[in-house]
Amino acid sequence: MALDSAAGLFGMRRSLAPEGDRSVRAKFAILVLAAFLAATVLFSLASGASDASAFAVVRDWLFPSFSATDALSLRDRVIVYDIRLPRVVMGVLIGAALAVSGAVMQGLFRNPLADPGLVGVSAGASLGAVSVIVLGATVLAPLTMVLGTFTLPLAAFAGGLATTLVLYRISTRQGRTSVATMLLAGIALAAMAMAFTGVLIFMADDRQLRDLTFWSLGSLAGATWQKIGAVAPIIIVALAAMPFLARGLNALALGEATANHLGIPVQRLKYVAIVAVAAAVGASVAVSGGIGFVGIVVPHLLRLLIGPDNRYLLPASALLGASMLLLADAVSRTIVAPAELPIGIVTATVGAPFFLWILLRRRGILDL
Amino acid sequence: MIEARDVSVSIGTKKIISDVDFEVKPGELAAIVGPNGSGKTTFLKALSGELAYAGRVTMNGRDLAAMKAWEAASVRAVLPQATALSFPFTVREIVKLGLSGGRTGVLAGEEEGLPERALARVDLEGFAGRFYQELSGGEQQRVQLARVLCQVWAPVLQGTPRYLFLDEPVSSLDIKHQLIIMNLARDFAARGGGVIAILHDLNLTAMFADRIFVMHRGRLAAAGSPQEVLSDELISRVFECRLKVGVLPAAGTPFVLPQSAGL
Repeated sequence: MALDSAAGLFGMRRSLAPEGDRSVRAKFAILVLAAFLAATVLFSLASGASDASAFAVVRDWLFPSFSATDALSLRDRVIVYDIRLPRVVMGVLIGAALAVSGAVMQGLFRNPLADPGLVGVSAGASLGAVSVIVLGATVLAPLTMVLGTFTLPLAAFAGGLATTLVLYRISTRQGRTSVATMLLAGIALAAMAMAFTGVLIFMADDRQLRDLTFWSLGSLAGATWQKIGAVAPIIIVALAAMPFLARGLNALALGEATANHLGIPVQRLKYVAIVAVAAAVGASVAVSGGIGFVGIVVPHLLRLLIGPDNRYLLPASALLGASMLLLADAVSRTIVAPAELPIGIVTATVGAPFFLWILLRRRGILDL
Repeated sequence: MIEARDVSVSIGTKKIISDVDFEVKPGELAAIVGPNGSGKTTFLKALSGELAYAGRVTMNGRDLAAMKAWEAASVRAVLPQATALSFPFTVREIVKLGLSGGRTGVLAGEEEGLPERALARVDLEGFAGRFYQELSGGEQQRVQLARVLCQVWAPVLQGTPRYLFLDEPVSSLDIKHQLIIMNLARDFAARGGGVIAILHDLNLTAMFADRIFVMHRGRLAAAGSPQEVLSDELISRVFECRLKVGVLPAAGTPFVLPQSAGL
């Protein structure tokens, strides 16, 4: 494969890896993905309605003394640091969170079709978020008083967690998850969450409706340092927990009983995975609305490239998820410029056909 | 030693196995035989800590009920009847999962070569780079056996007693590979490990087992050496068909022949 010969050029010789061992290839892919993400970040910082250039930004970082004379104008500075940078940071956090959550959920359910967006976790998180937007000033006022800016992401987390727990309970029996049950239960749970969300929207006043519409389209446009402050801690803690699940999720691929025989504390693994996924998805939904398919497309592509070993799949998913979301955001900002297409539309346009393609390639998957 | 005393397992209100006594010492290959539904797999699941049981099970003197997952995993490895996978792992990646507990007593330098050595022992040399899902059922079963071997092989070679629990290890294999796997199990025992194997082939059992435990309707019907256990009367009663036991002239090993009249 091209990737292997490229790895060879960089001194990571294939001969180091025995046949069937994809770890060298995976490590090299992670390096490439990290470089790709760095390039995507710079590209995102540089592109937009204003001509503030990435070059000027980098020069400003490297040689701040020049700024006074000819580097960044105050206008460019505001555009880059207060508009584009928070949006890029948010995109990286959410892209990573969604992709890694997808990979972890697929490991947990032992199925490549599990995705927080598809099985109702995002809908549950939305319900939590909408509850706060609509009832935050009245019924939930005491909660808002105590939790402050964290109320919205925490409510979304609670909604996502409740949905995941119910879903797992329904679709798993004696350690086996039925895919058909999982997808159908996900549809039912999402419908239920959306019905409750509908009731809340019906109750909302005009100002809340504007908030809701803006939020539910799924967009990174509202990114501010304040919002990042509210969700970044949750997403970072959840992402930091996930690498510790990698070995356990690998063993879980052989089934719960076998994972246990291999010495994995399966029950604890499942609970940590469910809470981490709900936290990451909940926090993402709270700030950016429903952005679908990142969690299914990214891990699937990476499994084709580096294999299903979660020790490499999870970090690689985080990197590629972040890059993909930044690129999707770039498309959403430019394709109908000067207006903006909601990013959820971009990811669904690419992701939904991709999902169908997976189904066509592996029709047997539903019989599992 | 692995020892079970008065082990019973109930699922709901139904008692699946009752008061089973069992033991296997390092150096022994113990076979569990019995008709379908007699409780063999249920008993092995109880020994593996997979099912709740009444009674007492000890492994190397420690109470199984008090052992954590990783502690049990460092003493015994379990081969299930079949393992389906939903992700495209290579054979080598699967075998290496046997080392994922991290307390397998394998020295850091040896770890890399171990999957290849284990694969060679199950006659799958050159299969390391193949995808598990593309193998035949018998090949998959041998890959799993190589994985299980990785988990407990190193300590046995260092003289620490470890155990293999094998649920029908040869049932999907051709006769050559049945013999390879049974010889591998024998060798594991000869080096100081203990093996518990659920078997259906009574002739293989008679040839390879040191001790046979016969299960019938959730109870232990007999236990002892092949010569002690394999009698016309007992096995015909347990398996509910007419079977004739003979003795191989040179080795003195019993063999079992079905009678043409059948039932």
